Amino acid sequence: MLNEPVGVLVIGAGASGAAFAWSIADIGTSVLCLDQGPWMKQQDYPSNGLDWEARGMADYSPSPNVRGLPADYPVNEQDSEISPLMFNAVGGSTILWAAHFPRLTPGDFRAKSEDGVGEDWPIDYETLEPYFSLNDRMMGVSGLAGDPAYPYHEPPLPPLPLGKTGNTLASGFEKLGWHWWPSESAILSREHEGRAACINLGPCLTGCAQGAKASTDITYWPAAQRKGVQLRTGCRVRDITVRADGMADGVLYYDAEGELQEQKAEIIVLACNGIGTPRLLLNSKSKQHPDGLANSSGLVGKNLMFHPYAAITGIFEEPLQGRRGPVGCSFWSHEFYRTDRSRGFVRGYSFEAIRGFGPVQTALWGMVQGLIPWGEDHHRAFGRLYDHTASLVAVTEDLPEETNTVTLDPELTDAHGIPAPKVTYRISENSRKMLAHAVERARDALTAAGAVETVAQPFFREAGWHLMGTARMGRDPKTSVVSERGQAHDVKNLFIVDGSIFVTAGAVNPTSTIQAFALYVADSIKKNLETLFDEV
Amino acid sequence: MTETSAALDDHDFMRALLNLVIPPSPSGDLPGAGALGLSPFVVTGLQADPLLGPLVEAGARAVREAALSEHPKGLAGMAPQAGTKVVEAQLANHPLLIMGLLRYLYPAYYQHQRVLEGIGEPPRPPFPEGFDVEATDARLLEKLRARRTA
Repeated sequence: MLNEPVGVLVIGAGASGAAFAWSIADIGTSVLCLDQGPWMKQQDYPSNGLDWEARGMADYSPSPNVRGLPADYPVNEQDSEISPLMFNAVGGSTILWAAHFPRLTPGDFRAKSEDGVGEDWPIDYETLEPYFSLNDRMMGVSGLAGDPAYPYHEPPLPPLPLGKTGNTLASGFEKLGWHWWPSESAILSREHEGRAACINLGPCLTGCAQGAKASTDITYWPAAQRKGVQLRTGCRVRDITVRADGMADGVLYYDAEGELQEQKAEIIVLACNGIGTPRLLLNSKSKQHPDGLANSSGLVGKNLMFHPYAAITGIFEEPLQGRRGPVGCSFWSHEFYRTDRSRGFVRGYSFEAIRGFGPVQTALWGMVQGLIPWGEDHHRAFGRLYDHTASLVAVTEDLPEETNTVTLDPELTDAHGIPAPKVTYRISENSRKMLAHAVERARDALTAAGAVETVAQPFFREAGWHLMGTARMGRDPKTSVVSERGQAHDVKNLFIVDGSIFVTAGAVNPTSTIQAFALYVADSIKKNLETLFDEV
Repeated sequence: MTETSAALDDHDFMRALLNLVIPPSPSGDLPGAGALGLSPFVVTGLQADPLLGPLVEAGARAVREAALSEHPKGLAGMAPQAGTKVVEAQLANHPLLIMGLLRYLYPAYYQHQRVLEGIGEPPRPPFPEGFDVEATDARLLEKLRARRTA
């Protein structure tokens, strides 16, 4: 029945919300998830049409401000050097992600101990390892076991083919003697649990029409629904309501018809990621929580971390068949991942090999770089670049800083009148040094691979996929928002399972770790139900 | 039709302008952008773009007026070299004219079936046929296997 009180209410049906809901369903209580977006249809994805690249800049843009779809909320990013990116639907940003699926490394949980920066996490890699493995099976991960950069683990499926682009770039790393390893990818190299294998469409970043790329609408959600989890779409939560004792007791949300509804729940779980979660907490002010829910530390919305990216492209004489295959999943390198203070910065970065651009992106990129003119020389210049480029991107470790924030915009609102988030973000000097170092090392690798010319974007703005740190975990309620099991220090029946709990960012894509943490939190709740709300 | 939008709505002018920006290839394998009927796509995009739209409209109007002052049929009546000079002369005052135009012209041009064939791509969507890719180099894999942790 609509709005009948439930045992567990999950807000957000993306990467973490789906994994959590699937797992927590085991306790046998009613589980409901609310998501502001709709179910997606694979037959609607751009790769079904010739205009697949054009739609990636319009209704399938990763920026909510460009899309402006009914499920989206605006983000004031005018005071941010990086544009936040996301997708709002069942599956969340996994609909548009590259599905590059590295785990945080063991050392990423110990930045303070190792290098005296950031903070240590209150949990470690070993604690999460069983959940990484479970998640790999649920998502369907392809990869090659034995990467020396990680403790040994076995991806459930063999690695994706590198293609000519990957083979070419990898040869450069080999010549230099640098670490590289086929990426672990949440893309099927073989049929897996009823899903078909990848057929190398290329446009992973606008949704996978084949269904070979994992998005949680086709991985966790069918399994969660079979367990009885309810999922209500088109529902935007306005705020979390509290009882007189300060515990959460439900939410107020706008349904698909725009009507305000009330949903009561015993446990509330936030899975809205690094911008949506602090936005909702800050919007949930009450007499008991005047600065926003779970915010006695004052840290809700602070310590926002992205991964600043550099992109370095090589131009090759040989054709590379570059736009075929999963664009963001080829191989990674951790050659410069750990701190070496002689480089002038702390922590490090990973490289991710990228397959080539489509024709539209080639033309636009060439124009912006001044490599493709208009007029009579256009076709010659285009032909020199198209199918002749391959890129490396550097994913740098951002460090937490309280001045990088998500706050509520005093004027901007979404379609329901709910205050929109305002992002304030500056790239640190440490990150800038890292980016500059990465550009030069990438030039070395591309040249070693045979590039005749390299073109660098030392930093690019449209890189805000990874939204982390705005409700971080820790043992001390004065310096963190949630405990090591995702439980809000201030509100014992409120949990957070998304990227906002990250203490530090590492230098790899975060989704594998986010989902492993969500599964860990669900397991922790299942194991500790009787004492869940006791004061520690 | 407003004064500002007149240039973008002038089909002969737009056809000529697009053909200058992306002319036919010397070999004839690739058509000029003006020959593909792409103006509506480009104009629709520009009219919905609050930043680039007005800038391109203003620049196009200036080009159209300058061309009409040199030839009774305007840009459509001019040889490519003469037309190019007219466009180039306006870029000092309208520096974003070409970039703004190409922001919407490239997506239209490079998704056209004739163009895809001309650049060696199959004129079809990626799905459902997909593509083959080269396997991972066996020699590289052997090297990795030798480095594996157990």
